[in-house]
Amino acid sequence: MTDLLLHNARLIDPARGIDATGHIAVTDGVITAAGTGEPDKASMKAVAQSVDCGGACLAPGLVDMRVQTSDPGAEHLEDLATLLHAAAAGGITSIVALPDARPVIDDASMIDSLSLRATRIDGARLFLYGAATTGLQGKAMAELGMMAEAGAVGFANGTRTIMDSLVMRRLLSYCGMLDKPLVQHCEDHALTAGSEMNESETSTRLGLIGAPAAAEAMVIDRDLHLVRMTGARYHAAHISTRDAVDSIRRAKDEGLAVTADTAPPYFMLNELSVSTYDTAFKLAPPLRSEDDREAIIEGIADGTIDAIASDHIAVDGDAKAQPFGPAQPGASGIDTLLALALSLVHRERISMLRAMECLSLAPASILDIDGGALIEGAAADLVLFDPSASWVVRAADFASNSRITPFEGLPVQGRVRSSWVGGMPVFTRS
Amino acid sequence: MPPAYKLIFMTKQSDSGSRNTATLATTPAPPARLASKHLLGIEGLNPLEINALIDRGDMFADLIQEEQPITPPLSEVLKGRTVLNLFFENSTRTRVSFELAAKNLGGSVLNINVAGSSVKKGETLLDTATTLNAMHPHILVVRHNCSGAAQLLSQHVDAAVINAGDGRHEHPTQALLDALTIKRRVGRIEGLKIAICGDIANSRVARSNIHLLSTLGAEIRLVCPATLLPDAVDAMGVEIHTNLEQGIEGVDIVMMLRLQTERMEGTETPSQREYFNMFGLDRRKLMRAAPDALIMHPGPMNRGVEIDSATADDVEKSLIRTQVEIGVAARMACLEALATKEGAA
Repeated sequence: MTDLLLHNARLIDPARGIDATGHIAVTDGVITAAGTGEPDKASMKAVAQSVDCGGACLAPGLVDMRVQTSDPGAEHLEDLATLLHAAAAGGITSIVALPDARPVIDDASMIDSLSLRATRIDGARLFLYGAATTGLQGKAMAELGMMAEAGAVGFANGTRTIMDSLVMRRLLSYCGMLDKPLVQHCEDHALTAGSEMNESETSTRLGLIGAPAAAEAMVIDRDLHLVRMTGARYHAAHISTRDAVDSIRRAKDEGLAVTADTAPPYFMLNELSVSTYDTAFKLAPPLRSEDDREAIIEGIADGTIDAIASDHIAVDGDAKAQPFGPAQPGASGIDTLLALALSLVHRERISMLRAMECLSLAPASILDIDGGALIEGAAADLVLFDPSASWVVRAADFASNSRITPFEGLPVQGRVRSSWVGGMPVFTRS
Repeated sequence: MPPAYKLIFMTKQSDSGSRNTATLATTPAPPARLASKHLLGIEGLNPLEINALIDRGDMFADLIQEEQPITPPLSEVLKGRTVLNLFFENSTRTRVSFELAAKNLGGSVLNINVAGSSVKKGETLLDTATTLNAMHPHILVVRHNCSGAAQLLSQHVDAAVINAGDGRHEHPTQALLDALTIKRRVGRIEGLKIAICGDIANSRVARSNIHLLSTLGAEIRLVCPATLLPDAVDAMGVEIHTNLEQGIEGVDIVMMLRLQTERMEGTETPSQREYFNMFGLDRRKLMRAAPDALIMHPGPMNRGVEIDSATADDVEKSLIRTQVEIGVAARMACLEALATKEGAA
């Protein structure tokens, strides 16, 4: 009767706040039982496959709400199949891809075709943001309604901020009507034009053009006025500064439908990493000050920042083999997402439950997709990981084809053993 | 399709309006009397004035529809008077409708072709008004792309001014002809559920109809994309919907508005394709309305944008052609009301 029984696990269910020894039974791809303690023996008998987890963590599969797909357009860097397989190896069972492909995902037929292609790949599930504006130009609203009908879970403008306030207002109104979140990359491009890193003493010392931290909060603050006018759901993506955290915190206190995510570089690293001009540290947004990094951790801990996403992008090695200024920003992220988030747990900045909430339940609820809950009837998207298993980040060993990381050589703890999507194993570490 | 016309008119109900119709048969509705010298908008008219215009228009519509010659004294109401059609925006149906209405009442009509006029040479609106005023027209029919332009003109000319559409503000004669069309077909306005659908933000027709139809006791729903919904419009006593099928659920009248495609830059609504998909009226969506729901449109229509052809041309349900025909009668009632006042003055 039961297809799969996972028992003797450290069950982590952010939806119910459970962090205790327990078990999960799966039938037809769906969780049929998830509870603490051992399953009763009667149900054990009818089990097709039984796995003793040996005390490893069993949690909802990760929902990575910010991934840039190179397919279509740059499949030589990473195609959909390698992306979704690598995600599964990283414990990620759902990926939400940005519209920055070539061509831009600004049309319902592209949502349709990518979603269909993903169903033929045994890896993580694929969800898609539609482009908020045609060609990500920030001018004309794309066909959001038709993309929503085709399954877009929200709308984003990639790493281009929607600078025109009228366009932004109308987008928020329209997204509100469709009940979809609008995901904003928060950067006042006028203020950051030509910038190469965070503006600070370090940028001065290195002779790199600085982007002021305020450029992030300025966009958020403007957007919050528009959110008040429209009542739409607004999501500030990969925030990196204390000012941004403060703005989001105030908006939440006010009761606005505002959420935010960040990415591991912004709680792991600061701008001093740029000192060697190593372009692996060139990211968008740029690495910030130590005070900003601290504020990001505080934001994660107190719930101001809802989610942690990988911000994964496959960057062409040639585009990184450049002087710091002209080098392309971005880095790989899906292989390291879980271990880096767990570093906050090991350093006792957040609980294991909070970490898994940021990695699964929160992004799933922001985007209204299944995930983050180990409850009866939910799809069996699961990850089994050893929270303390240590390893050293080596890009050469990544499952992903994207092999540029700012964490090369970093010792980390927490390693995925297996992951399941809809009850089917999509990764098992040999 | 002339037979369809006849069919529609022959099915004119006479129950509710029963009292009016009955009265009409014996004593025709008298010329409407308005407190104001001008007809600048529906807002500000009281229900008695509105009903007087509609009832008088109903009488004119009977004459026109029965193809009866308009004889004295009606054909002499505007005798010796000049009606000046001053259209700063392109128009065919409204301008021709006013022209016919004025001629039916014996007036002499002048159409000012603004495209070739001194306005194009840089003359201001007020200079144009002063110039025209010196020619002593009796009634000025004005259309302008700026809200409030008709009112501004009315303050600087001696003639009575009829607003034939000012920007996004009002188009009172359209609302009157819409109400008259409904009343002749359904027999009443009070208690009807009417959905006004489409580009509300840019529509003067919507504003005039909201004022008129709610004053006469209809229940008004607005259906439009959130981006075309003007601020605080719920203060006008309407119910707001951003989903067409939900918005027209059970309504008696579906009034479609023209999407101002010439003004679309792709930020208010993404594309005509998406607009039709979400807010265009077709047979499938229309099934949500009341079984005998009627369709209206002030024209000109964008077929395949806000309405599909099968629905627009449905002789059983579409009042769109009737609206045009009734327009002349409604405007006769308006011209007569202002002429009578001016004559009395």
